[in-house]
Parts: sequence; C-alpha cells; structure tokens
Amino acid sequence: MIQNKVSKQNFFENLDTKQVELVNALREACEKVAPVWSLENFVAVNPYLGFSSKNFDDVAQELAAAGGIQMTLPTQFYLQKLREGVIEKQDLTNALSEKGNKTEASLFIKNTEKDLPSNDGLETIATVADIATEATKKDWNRFVTTRISQWAASYFDKGQAIWTAANQQEGLFLAWKYEVQVDRSSELMGLKDFRKRVKKFPDHPVKAAEIALQKLGIPIEDASLYFHRLLRREGGWSAYAARLDWENKLYGGVDGKLIEFLAVLICWEACLLESFDNPVIDHRWNKAKELFTQRGCYRKLNQQLATNLIFQEAFDLATQRKIFEKFQQAEAPERAESLQAEVQAIFCIDVRSEVFRRKLEMVESSIETFGFAGFFAFPIKYIPIGYEEGEAQCPVLLKTGPVIMEQVADPSQFRQALEGRVLNSQVQQLWKSFKSSAVTCFSFVSPVGLSYLPKIFTDSFGWTRPVPHPHEVGLSKSVYEKRDVSLTFDRYKDETVGIPLNQQIQMAKNALTAMSLKDSFGRLVLVVGHGSTTVNNPHATGYDCGACGGHSGESNARVAVAILNNSDVRAGLLLENITIPTHTIFLACLHDTTTDEVKIYNELDVPTERNEELISLKNSLKLAGHYARTERSMRMESEGNSNADKMIMGRSKDWSQTRPEWGLAGCSAFVVAPRHRTKGIDLGGKSFLHSYDWKKDLDFSVLELIMTAPMVVTSWINLQYYGSTVDNKNFGSGNKTLHNVTAGLGVLEGYAGDLRVGLPFQAIHDGEKYQHEPQKLHVIIEAPMRAMNIILKKHPAVKDLCDNGWIYLLAMDEEGKVSHRYLGDLSWEKTRRGVSDNLRTKDPNPLELGVRLK
Amino acid sequence: MTQHYLALLVLLSPAFFVITAIVSWFQPGIRPSEVKKAATVATYISLAIAAFCGFFVSKYGLLQSDLIGLSELGVSVRLDSLSGIMLAMIALISFVVLRFSMNYLDGDGKHGAFIGRLAATIAAVQLLVLSGNLAMLFVSWVLTSISLNRLLVFYKTRPGAIIAARKKFIVARIGDTCLLAAFTLLYFQFGTGDLEKIFIDTKVLLESGEANWVLEAVALLLVSAALLKSAQFPFHGWLIEVMETPTPVSALLHAGLLNAGPFLIVRMAYIMEASVYAPILLLVLGGFTALFASIVYMTQTSIKTALGYSSVAHMGFSLMVCGLGLYPAAMLHLVAHSFYKAHAFLSSGSVIEVIRASKVTASKRIGSPVRILIGIALALGLYCCLVIIWGIDPERELALLAVGAILVMGLSKLFSTAIDSDGSFKLILWASLLSILVALSFFTLESLFHVLLSSQLPELQSLTFPETILIAIILVAFAASVFLQLLTPVLSVSTAYRALAIHLRNGLYVNTLFDRLVRAPYLPSSDRRRISVAPTRKRKLVHDERFANQSS
Repeated sequence: MIQNKVSKQNFFENLDTKQVELVNALREACEKVAPVWSLENFVAVNPYLGFSSKNFDDVAQELAAAGGIQMTLPTQFYLQKLREGVIEKQDLTNALSEKGNKTEASLFIKNTEKDLPSNDGLETIATVADIATEATKKDWNRFVTTRISQWAASYFDKGQAIWTAANQQEGLFLAWKYEVQVDRSSELMGLKDFRKRVKKFPDHPVKAAEIALQKLGIPIEDASLYFHRLLRREGGWSAYAARLDWENKLYGGVDGKLIEFLAVLICWEACLLESFDNPVIDHRWNKAKELFTQRGCYRKLNQQLATNLIFQEAFDLATQRKIFEKFQQAEAPERAESLQAEVQAIFCIDVRSEVFRRKLEMVESSIETFGFAGFFAFPIKYIPIGYEEGEAQCPVLLKTGPVIMEQVADPSQFRQALEGRVLNSQVQQLWKSFKSSAVTCFSFVSPVGLSYLPKIFTDSFGWTRPVPHPHEVGLSKSVYEKRDVSLTFDRYKDETVGIPLNQQIQMAKNALTAMSLKDSFGRLVLVVGHGSTTVNNPHATGYDCGACGGHSGESNARVAVAILNNSDVRAGLLLENITIPTHTIFLACLHDTTTDEVKIYNELDVPTERNEELISLKNSLKLAGHYARTERSMRMESEGNSNADKMIMGRSKDWSQTRPEWGLAGCSAFVVAPRHRTKGIDLGGKSFLHSYDWKKDLDFSVLELIMTAPMVVTSWINLQYYGSTVDNKNFGSGNKTLHNVTAGLGVLEGYAGDLRVGLPFQAIHDGEKYQHEPQKLHVIIEAPMRAMNIILKKHPAVKDLCDNGWIYLLAMDEEGKVSHRYLGDLSWEKTRRGVSDNLRTKDPNPLELGVRLK
Repeated sequence: MTQHYLALLVLLSPAFFVITAIVSWFQPGIRPSEVKKAATVATYISLAIAAFCGFFVSKYGLLQSDLIGLSELGVSVRLDSLSGIMLAMIALISFVVLRFSMNYLDGDGKHGAFIGRLAATIAAVQLLVLSGNLAMLFVSWVLTSISLNRLLVFYKTRPGAIIAARKKFIVARIGDTCLLAAFTLLYFQFGTGDLEKIFIDTKVLLESGEANWVLEAVALLLVSAALLKSAQFPFHGWLIEVMETPTPVSALLHAGLLNAGPFLIVRMAYIMEASVYAPILLLVLGGFTALFASIVYMTQTSIKTALGYSSVAHMGFSLMVCGLGLYPAAMLHLVAHSFYKAHAFLSSGSVIEVIRASKVTASKRIGSPVRILIGIALALGLYCCLVIIWGIDPERELALLAVGAILVMGLSKLFSTAIDSDGSFKLILWASLLSILVALSFFTLESLFHVLLSSQLPELQSLTFPETILIAIILVAFAASVFLQLLTPVLSVSTAYRALAIHLRNGLYVNTLFDRLVRAPYLPSSDRRRISVAPTRKRKLVHDERFANQSS
C-alpha cells in the first residue's frame, strides 16, 4: 500500500539552478490542483482550493483558459431566475455597481439577451494534443487521456485488479516510463517509435521534464499556464496525486507525486510532437505557444464569462437578501436562560441536522439543541475489531490524535469476535481468489452461479444487501450490538492506543469550551454523530460525516461520551471550573441522515429508576424523525407513494436508488450564534448551524477556532457543491448510471476517460431542476466585528476566502438581525436592508477587545 | 389443436413487452408512470407464463404451434425444455432488470424510452428462444441486435457509446449474414423451415452415416454466427465498452442477449453432431477465448470492464463445452452465469464496500511448492471419489471427465491457497467444506440439467481423435495458467511477468486495432471547449473558426 507510507523519497536534491527553477514552476502549477479523496472516505473538498488567494472572477478566467472550466451556469439559467423574480432588478443593480460596471440593469439584461451566445464553450490555450487533433482530425486528447488513465488506475489501484500490472513499488515517473516502453498501444495508433522516444528520457522526473520542455520549445518562465492546462486535462488523476501529496505533507513528508505526474504529462506531449514530425503541426504549435508568453492572456479569451459572473453575483445577493429577510421577520426570541433544559442534544453543524433539530425542539420544547462539528473535538484514529490499520476520524485538515480500538467489553467474547472476524475475512479472501481467478472462475460459476437467483430477488426487494455492510462484516449481530470503544492506554502493533486520564481531562475541557457548554448541563446530554444508510452506492461515504473524515460519527460520539461520563474526568474538570452534575448522563447517539432515525448506544448507562426519562426521550426522537422525514419528502419524487416514512426508508434500502437522500444539496448559509437566534426560523435544511456565545468566549479563542476550522470546512463543502453544479464535467462525477468504479478508489463515467472528482449529477439535480443552485456560502457570525477583524488579520488564508469572494461574511447584531456585511480588507458596511442606526450593534470598547485578544 | 393454442398463448409474454415498448412512444420522457405500469405488468405476466410453460413442458415434453406463414416458413412457437429454461431465465432477469431501471434512471430525460427499449429487447430475445421455425429464429436474431443497438446509443452524444455500437454493428451484420446463409442452406436441404422436421431429418441422415457437406457447411456457419454473437475473440471489443450505457443494459446484455450464441448451438445440436469441423472450431476459439479473457479479466482496473471480460470468458467456456458435445453442461453454465452476472452488474456499485471491508487482517501466502502440491493432491482425491460415486464411465464420458478436470483446477485453487497461507487450521477446514460443496453441487446440477434436457438433445458421443488431442491441449493450457497463478507470489517480481501483465491489461491490443478499423479516433468529443492560438502579434484575439466547428 503505497498510500499509507509517508513518502520520504526526494528527487529535489542535487539539482542545478535551472532545474530548481523548473521544480518551482512545476510546483506552482501543482498547487492549483485540489486533492480528491478516494471513495472509501469521500470527503468534500473545495475544488478551487489552490486559488483562494486570488479573486473569484480572475480564477474563473484562468480556469476557463486552462481547462475550459466553467465557474458559472450558462447565462440562460440566470435570465430564467430574473424572469421568475428570484433575482430582483435591485440585486442586479447592486451586483453591477459592485463589479464597477456602470451599465443600467435593464439595459444590461437587454444587451445580454440580444447577443446570447449559441455555444457556451470556453476557449483554452492549446496543447500539442489539441493541435494534433485539429491537424489530423483524430481525437488525440481522448487517446492520451485513456492511456494515462489506464496506467494511473493500475498504478494507484487499491485492490480492484487481481493481477496488478503497474509497478506500485516504483516511483510514479519511473513506473510510467517502464510501462510505456512495454505498451504497444501508442505505436499501434500510429505514433512512430513512441517507445524508443520515451526510453531516451532520463529516469529523473525533473530532468526528463526539462528535456521535454526543450523539445517542446517552451521556456520555463512562460510555462505556467501550459502546465496548468496539462494538469486540468487529466484533472481527476492529478487530484488523486495531489491528495497523496496532501497526506504526505500533513504527516511531515514531502510532496512530489503530482510533480512527477506533471512530468509524465509533459513528456507525453514532447513524444507526441516528435512522433508526428509533421511540419503543419510544428508550425501551428509554434503559433499556439505565442499565446503562453502573453501574460494574463486568459483575461481576454472568454468575454461572455464577465457577464455571467455579474449574474452570479446578483444571484448570490438575492440569496443573501432572502436570508436577511428571514432573520428580519423572525420574532424576537426570548432567551430561555431562566429555564434549565432537561435534555440537551449536541448535533453536527451539518445542514441535515437543522431539519431534525427544528423538529425535535418542536416535538419537545424542553429539549435544547446545540450545533458543533460532528467529531466533537475528538480527532481520533479508530481501529475497528480485527482491522490492520486505523481510519482517521477527524476533519482532513487535522492530524489524527489518539488511536482508539474498538472492543467488546467481555474479554472472552472479544477474543471470539476477533478470531471470528479474521477467519471470516480469510475465508472471503479464499473464496474471492477461487471465484475470480482465471480458469477457476469456470468451476465457480457452474455449481455456485444459480445461488444468485434468489439473491437478485431479495436484493431487488431490499430484503438483503448486495454485500454486507463494511461495519458488520464478520461480526455476529450480538457482537455488533455490544461493540464499544476502549480508552485504556496500551500498545497495539507499533502504536500506542487509548488516552491517558490527564489527556482525557484536557480533551473534555477543550471540547466543552468549544461547544460553549461549560455550565447548566441537562440531566441527559445527547452527543449525536451522524452517518447515512445507502445501498450499492459508490459515493456512500460522501453522505457520511465530513468532520469525521468521511466516516460515520458513531465512534467519535462514543469516545466523547465515554470520556465525559468518566467520574475521574469529571473530578479533573472540577479543577478547571467545569462542574458536571452527577445526575448528568451523556448519551452517544447516531443520527441516520438518510432515514432520520436516532440510535442511542449507551442506553444501559441510564439507571433503571430514570427509565421514564429515557422512554420519553426516545419517543420524542421517533416523532421528530417522522416530522423530519415528512418535511424532507417534499424535496423528493414520491411517485404516488403518499407515505413519506415508507418512501424514505425504502430509498435507504434500494440498490437501484441514485438519490437516497439530498445530502448537503442546497447548503448556502453558516450561522454561528446561540441557537435561540435561529430557533424560530425555518432554514430549510440548507444552513450549517454552530452554537457560539461570544460573551462567554473571553479571549475569542473559540471564535478563532470556528473561523479557522468549521468556517473553512463549510466553505469547502459549499464550493464542492458549487463546482459540481456549475461544471459537472470537470468538478463533478457525471451520470451515476454510467459509473464504473475504478482502481477501488474512484469512478470513471463509462468505459474510459479521466478519473472523476466531485459529486454525481444526480446528487445536485432531480431531473427537472437543480436541488443545489450555485450559491456561495453566507457566513453569519454573532460576534463583534473587531474581534473578527483581528482574527482575519491573524489568518491570511481565512481572510483570503472572505476578501476574494469565496464566501460572504456577515455580522449579526444584538437583536439577532444581520447588520453588517464584510467588504474585504477588514472593512464592513451596514447591510442595505439591515436595521436602522439606533439599533446597530454596540461595538465593545476597542481597548477592551485588545486586552481580550491578547 | 389445444397444443397449438397453448403454445401460442406463450406469445403473450413477448406481446406485453411489445405493448410496453409501444406505450413508451407516447411517454418517452421523464417520470413515465404509464410505461412503468406497463413494464411491471409485462414482467409479472412473463413470470406467470414461464411457470405455465414449465408445467406444460413437463407434461407434454414438446409443444409446438402450427405454422403461421408460407412455404414452411413463418411463425411457430416451439416449447420444449430448452426454450422453457431460457424463457424462464429471461423472465426472471427481465423482472429484476426492469424493476431496477424504474428508480435507477429516475430523473433521466429519456426514462420512458429507456424502459421501452429494454422491453423491446426482451421481447426480441423471448421470440428468439421460442422460435420453432427458421424464419422466426432469423428475424428475432436480427431484432435482438437492432433493439440492442438502440440501447447502446442511449446517450448518443458519447463518443464511446457510438464506437461500441459501431463495432457491434459490424460484428452483428457479419453474424447475421452467416446465419442467413446457414438457414438458406438448411431450408433448401430439407425443404422446410420447421425445426422439428429438420431435427428429425438430420437424425435420419446421421444414422445413415453419410457425410453431408451441406450440413458441414451449415454447422460451420452456425458456429461462426454464435461466436460473433457472443463476442468471442477477436470480436469481443464492443462488449467490454458497453458501460457507456446505463448499468441495467449491461445486466440484460450480459445475462440475456449474449447467451444467444451458445443457445443457437444447443438448439441446433443435432446439426453440430453431423459436423466434423464445427466442434473443433468451437473447441479452438471457445477454449482460447475462455483462457484469454479470464486472464485479462484479472488485470482490469475498472469493475465493469473486468465484468465484461469475464462474460466473454464464460461465453467462450460455454461454447467450448458445446464443442465437447456436453450440451446440458453448457446450458447449466449459461444459466448459472446469467444470474451471477446480472447480480454482479447490478451490484457493481457495492465494490467500494467490499474494499472497505477487506481491511481486516488478511492471511498471507507462504509460497511453498510442497504445500501447493498437497492442495492439488487433495483436490484430485476429492474429484476421484466423486467420479467413482457418480459412476462416470471414463471411456464413454471422456468429455464429462474433461470438464470435471477443470473443476479440479478450481478446487486446487481453494485447497492450495488455504494450505499455502499463514491462516489457521480452521481456514483449511473451511476450504475443504467449500470444496466438497462446490464439487457435490457441480455433479448434482450437471445430472439435473442432463435429465431436464436429454429429450431435446443428441446422446453424448465419444470424442474423435482430433477432439481428444485438442481438449488435452486446452486442459494443459488451463492447468498451466492455474499453476502459474498459484505461484504468483514467487513470480510477481520478474520483469517479464510484469510486461506480460501490461500486454494482457491491454487485451493484447486487439481492441486497439478494432478501434482503428472503425475509425474511432476520428469521432470528435462532445466537449464544448475551443482552443486558441495566437494569431498575429498584438492584435485582438480572434478565435479560429475551424477549431470551433471541430469541437462543437
């Protein structure tokens, strides 16, 4: 498994100055490619990750030129929204003035409608493959992509092929070079002496790239856009290589995988040019290259984009206006401080929690809910029973903390479970090798094939799953129910596992502080992680908890609860001025976002005399689930099935379902405020909610944490949906019915082509309309603007996101209204429809703030 | 007369699928509620009729409707155990595939058309297996290709889909020509298009012992048609590319349509028996394809492509078994493969879950030749025991022994992998248990199919000398490949082995050549991107019209 090792291999040493310059140019291009996670834990990534330091509009132009990538929907979409009145003329006027365009709104619309382009295709700079395609009328881009994709799938394969052809132990470039010298495909397609030409390149990727660039006749200083163009053509595998680099860097290794991959792409181009040896192609190539040297040439290529970007801005402003109105119309809530809630429930900030929380509070008003990142500030590495390696159960921005083993409390039962699972896996391994090896597969099919007849029927009716759920594989039902986490400090293989007591206390303190929950604990406190239930869905983990690294949040909730229920930990917390009453019991729960059921894991921790509390809680959860399903079913095609519960449950078990749930589609806002600010507002399951009380946050360290972690992550999710919506071809994974899982880590759309990144089209569109419309994230924070300014100043990466139009930052005032809008460069303006002057936020004394922020 | 009407009643099954297809003309688009209803009714009726057929076939053995047509050519339904099994299999698979398509394609702008085209294809396949007359058989044979073609280009802007359809078109037309030639010869030889009459006359001819060049030619043409229909080497290219169209099509195709090849051979078994060279052709090409495709399968990195190769291999195997004259065994393989492959395609989205679940501590191979040999010996031992218990006559049923030998190879894989690993003793017990189950089930099912089909098929003949030599060669090749796989832990480091893997992953480049043949590279992408080159310096950029035309 190459992926799991931190790469220390370094080919950046002993290079001459020219080569160092080349490495820098290669790296600069590579940093523009956002990583993609494999489908095993498919977390959301901002596809524009490498661009936050640049302005949104400029990036749109650059991506258009480098990859024909769209960053807005076609003009017609926005014109339609104007006709429907979703975008009002005032929104467009505002957008125009913000972009410094002096055209009057109606004239702008008229002009746009007049010369609507027949084709929204974008213009890109050319590669050799493009030129050759034009000259020979053969699609060389498709050919090159297929060749590279086939090899990359073999090289990065995580267990799909039984016989791996590529040399995975070798470095990426060398493995490719070896492969291409064997592979006859290119020559059979008419590329003369292709193998010989590849052979002549040095084994060192940087040196090879240097020579290839010479052959292509591109000076290093002009190559930046060209490199970017090449990476975009193989955007999927580039992103996968970028992900390996990401993990290497996170754990202290060096990057280089993507640089090697880029070297491969450059060498391909050079060999292509040489193999053709065609004066027409050479001539056209030389012409094409002239464009590379014109700095910022891409700004002039796609004029229509500027219009679309203005419309997009207007569309965002329209969304913002509606959010303002929601808060504006909300009745001033009374703070329920006087009444201590009996039950408190901490949910993930995920937009899907919003619906359930609203319904739960409606069902039982004595329940207070909180929003917090679904790993509950316990960034663990989790080793399920019998697993060789653990899984990172934390946001991908973070390194994992303690390693936690799954266990069954009873030691003899645990040993049995462990042995059973290992044996089961070995038998499966054996069976697979019999079933899928050459020749032996014939002796499998005749005797065993008929057993699939009952299976296709039971699978078809949803009575069985096509394959057992990965969590349940090899465990008996009773063992599965009894699973628990072990916090005991110990050693397993060459790792230390468990958490020592003082660290437990520290983690508990940090978590409770970050949740703004340090006093007034209820009698029952639910820690609710979330996961999804889908069948036969390659993108299943995409519906799981992103804060848990694309896994179910079950184990994080279990760990949090095990620590918080520990009396020694509570004793330790007393010294930190956090008093958890003895009657407070934390309950680890899992919210199934597909079915809206909530399962409680440690019911047994509730003493029998408090059984009634538990029963009433369970009833409330059940009822809330029913109401949540009813609300969510409005967004789904019911096909005459009037029973929402049945329809939604059916979807979670249907192996032919491409839309088991809407996931985070529609996400467009992130509210950071105490729950009572949003309690009366129906945010439609489209808003992330983070509980935060700035008055309790003395040094604004919690605010700093929120703005640097959850805010960034929510913008990643939002931009993933944005990218998949505006350009599903490049930043989405296309049609689910064509998905062809490749290399055990991603999908192809159909037979060949590049690895696909992002969300399937079915995840954002229901066939008639977009379920996710392209809206950038509106972050509303109830906190003093100065405090936010100081944090922005301290974290340039976060400031970039807000300054360059990737997210809209908004401030909420004491009345719970959205009062100010961040303009960039640490300045704010009053919202146009905001509150009148006398009601505006009383900014705390700047001096006082300075003290608080140290 | 009752027979006639009973047999005609069966046509209700394809009729309802045809009705579904017709309904889809009126509702081809998104959320086609009426088409869905029609399809559901058709699948249930089809299941009922399949059950009904089972009952009457077991009662009468053979039911045939009178001919509706002219000069002994036309429509007549033939119901016997062979068409009964095929009809039931198609009914079952259609039920699942259509049910799957209802939700899977939800929201697609051509959902109605998709279901309609599936239904039309199913109707064509059902007509094919029910044919009692050459004319009907030929027409439905062609109809299956035509209706399939409409499914292959369901997303007609995808270059990959067009390329696959082009390849299939060429292969299918050559196949159709072969079949037409074969049927014409048959018609003129026997003066009738009625299958039953042809079979009876053939039997008479066979008993007379005269060599008949017409039947020889017919058999060779039929074999060619079957090889082409079932995507045998080197015409397999289109099949491994059909994932350019939604998954249910792959399921139906691999589990239903592809079977037409071996079905044709089994249907025409009497004519095969009259031929010397046709079985040899089947053995050579079927055997080679089986070996080639099942090895290439292992090297594929994408699930659906791998499954495509696997189907090619299994079709090859079925045809090879037909070549041995073991028609019941071929049918068993065909039917078993259909259900297996339908499930494999429909559940291909679950492969990530399989990989997620495979992180449990695995057993490692030791790579000890002695242990591997012990495994092989155990497998042989088990096989011999069962051969003796079943009382197989090695001289007369040499062909059956040969197929059994392939079973031994599978069992050795089970035993050797278990024994040659660091797993526990329990693992070996499991391997033994599984082996016994597999072997028992093989012999039981084989006997069952033999009993079911014997009335419709010629007696098993002893192999001719060239056939014996051929099968020996094939078995040695098969065994060698299994043995090499067992040695993989030792071999995988060698450069030659790696190079071989690369060539194999590319399917020995056959498809690349086929691509050139159908001018695949000339098909423009549906990409809307245009490229720019600098015109003359310092002038406003004008985009080149020729480029735009090319990529639009």
